[in-house]
Amino acid sequence: MIDLRLRKVLESDNTKMVLDLNLQFKKGQFITLYGESGSGKTSTLRLISGLMKPDSGHLSIGQQCWFDEDKKINLAPSKRKIGFVFQDYALFPNMTVKENLFFALSDKTDQGTIEELVQMMDLGDLQNRKPESLSGGQKQRVALARALVGKPEILLLDEPLSALDYKMRYKLQKYILKIHQRYKLTTILVSHDIGEIIKLSDLVFELENGKIARQGSPAELFGLGSTSAKFQFTGEIIQIESEDVLVIVTLLVGNDLVKVVCDKEEAKQFYLGDKVLVGSKAFNPIIKKI
Amino acid sequence: MNWIPIILTLKLSLITTLILFVLALPLAYWLSVTSSKIKAIVETLVSMPLVLPPTVLGFYLLLAFSPQNTFGAWLDQWLGLKFVFTFHGLVLASCLYSLPFMVHPLQSGLSSLPSSITEAAIMHGKSKFTILRKVLLPNIKPSVLTALVLTFAHTMGEFGVVLMIGGNISGKTKVASIAVYDEVEALNYGMANQYSLILIGLSFLTLLMVYLFNGGFFKQYLK
Amino acid sequence: MNQFEGNIVQIHSCGQLSIVTVELLDRNKVQSIIIDTSDTAPYLVLDTPVFVLFKETEVAISPEENPKISLQNRFRGKITAIEKGELLVRLSIETAAGNLVSMISKTALTDLDLFINDWVTALVKLNEITLSPK
Repeated sequence: MIDLRLRKVLESDNTKMVLDLNLQFKKGQFITLYGESGSGKTSTLRLISGLMKPDSGHLSIGQQCWFDEDKKINLAPSKRKIGFVFQDYALFPNMTVKENLFFALSDKTDQGTIEELVQMMDLGDLQNRKPESLSGGQKQRVALARALVGKPEILLLDEPLSALDYKMRYKLQKYILKIHQRYKLTTILVSHDIGEIIKLSDLVFELENGKIARQGSPAELFGLGSTSAKFQFTGEIIQIESEDVLVIVTLLVGNDLVKVVCDKEEAKQFYLGDKVLVGSKAFNPIIKKI
Repeated sequence: MNWIPIILTLKLSLITTLILFVLALPLAYWLSVTSSKIKAIVETLVSMPLVLPPTVLGFYLLLAFSPQNTFGAWLDQWLGLKFVFTFHGLVLASCLYSLPFMVHPLQSGLSSLPSSITEAAIMHGKSKFTILRKVLLPNIKPSVLTALVLTFAHTMGEFGVVLMIGGNISGKTKVASIAVYDEVEALNYGMANQYSLILIGLSFLTLLMVYLFNGGFFKQYLK
Repeated sequence: MNQFEGNIVQIHSCGQLSIVTVELLDRNKVQSIIIDTSDTAPYLVLDTPVFVLFKETEVAISPEENPKISLQNRFRGKITAIEKGELLVRLSIETAAGNLVSMISKTALTDLDLFINDWVTALVKLNEITLSPK
């Protein structure tokens, strides 16, 4: 069981936000922190990793206490069994992929781990290349591999896929899920891509202004399973147009724009930018071979 | 031709550069990561030698280390160190005088690196020293080179500070820049010319190295 | 979207499919075919309150009271409003279960010769009804 009760006052420029967290979850789960920019998601990861020191509170992983203000415990980041994947990958530019991975090796772990990770993340051909010559997706795989060299128990991912295009995201999501299952990690992902969250997570915590506003399974939080419709996606309203006696709503679903017909009475509740669930019965769509 | 002033100049520049590199690096690192309230004050102090007349710096160093004053006398009595009119006095003075030339490029280079790189290294349990040596410095090679070369070149060109605290003692503190002055005073324009041309040549070469390196000229040879 | 409240009164499952009968508040029975069974959808239990949902564009109209046609779900009601577009028309129909909206082509309206206050039967196919637990 992971018990996180931390408090930190964050000051940046002229704004102040109080991060007041209270979350508990089981080890081995895939957790997502979801929320708007500035709601405290990255800061939460930094508190868990030890890169940022909380003002007060308690953080324990199972029987191990990593932080306790009263008991004056504050375990150094490297002693916490954590792998951290930064948003900008943070690969060392002066080292090749292989050297980046070896850098993460402390004396205790063996080289076999690196071999295995190279295989798993399909980095074989890239080993002697420097980060600047790699694509975004390749850099991300290296960052993931490097985070795993130390055999962490917890993997922290700070919006790792936000800079990638949809196709790359999809591929990387599969890698992330693969390593989560293979190494039996507790993974904490920061993301605001609902599709991604639904696909990967067991549990979602929604942060708002530094506090947990809601928590639950992705289905509970994002309204899936609220209808019998089998053909379901989440999308964002891009445009609402009146045509004839009905309304055509254009949605961004993943990387695709789709148009859906609506009754004008119904359309009154929709605004541009709304996140919606679009669903249809399995009986409706046509399938055609390409 | 008396090579001693040239040798003294080179010796002074080299030793100053090496000592300053070791001393300025931690300072530059601290400045690049701190958000302390005294940062502005420290930065100002570091930059002062850029604008202070060298003679002012030299004058106060003279007063501070003069054996007639308490501090200077104490140093002499307890540590046998004389900083006035000696070569090591010159080194001390040069370190102060060239400090901004070492600190600024290093600080600038270190600041330009994303903090996530340092943090990633911290996550893997590396000490600050290892991070500096293996992760930070290798990625700011142009800044390091600039810092070293500028410090070297700048020290070569010192005059006012060196004159004040060095005392122009032949063989000990008469560096090339002072030698030029001396020869002109003595109307030995020929000698003055020789020293000057050498100094110009050295300055040109050292600065050329920096610009060539930063322009990528040496990349082909370093592969 | 048309939405009516009711209770599940029958679940007939076979393999992955189920035909679910929902009795609406006016005792009218509506059927939906879904790819779910009581095992896959926890709300599929008798007497559970659910909403039945179907789009306006999926409602067929007939002036007859009991047209001989395969559509099983029928609502009898009076046209209370007709909004005409270029190609389509929007009919508001008051039924015992509530207000229902249908969109049909303008030509269909003229062919059927329908006007306000006319009584019609609204028809929806089995596979066009979506269920949503309350």
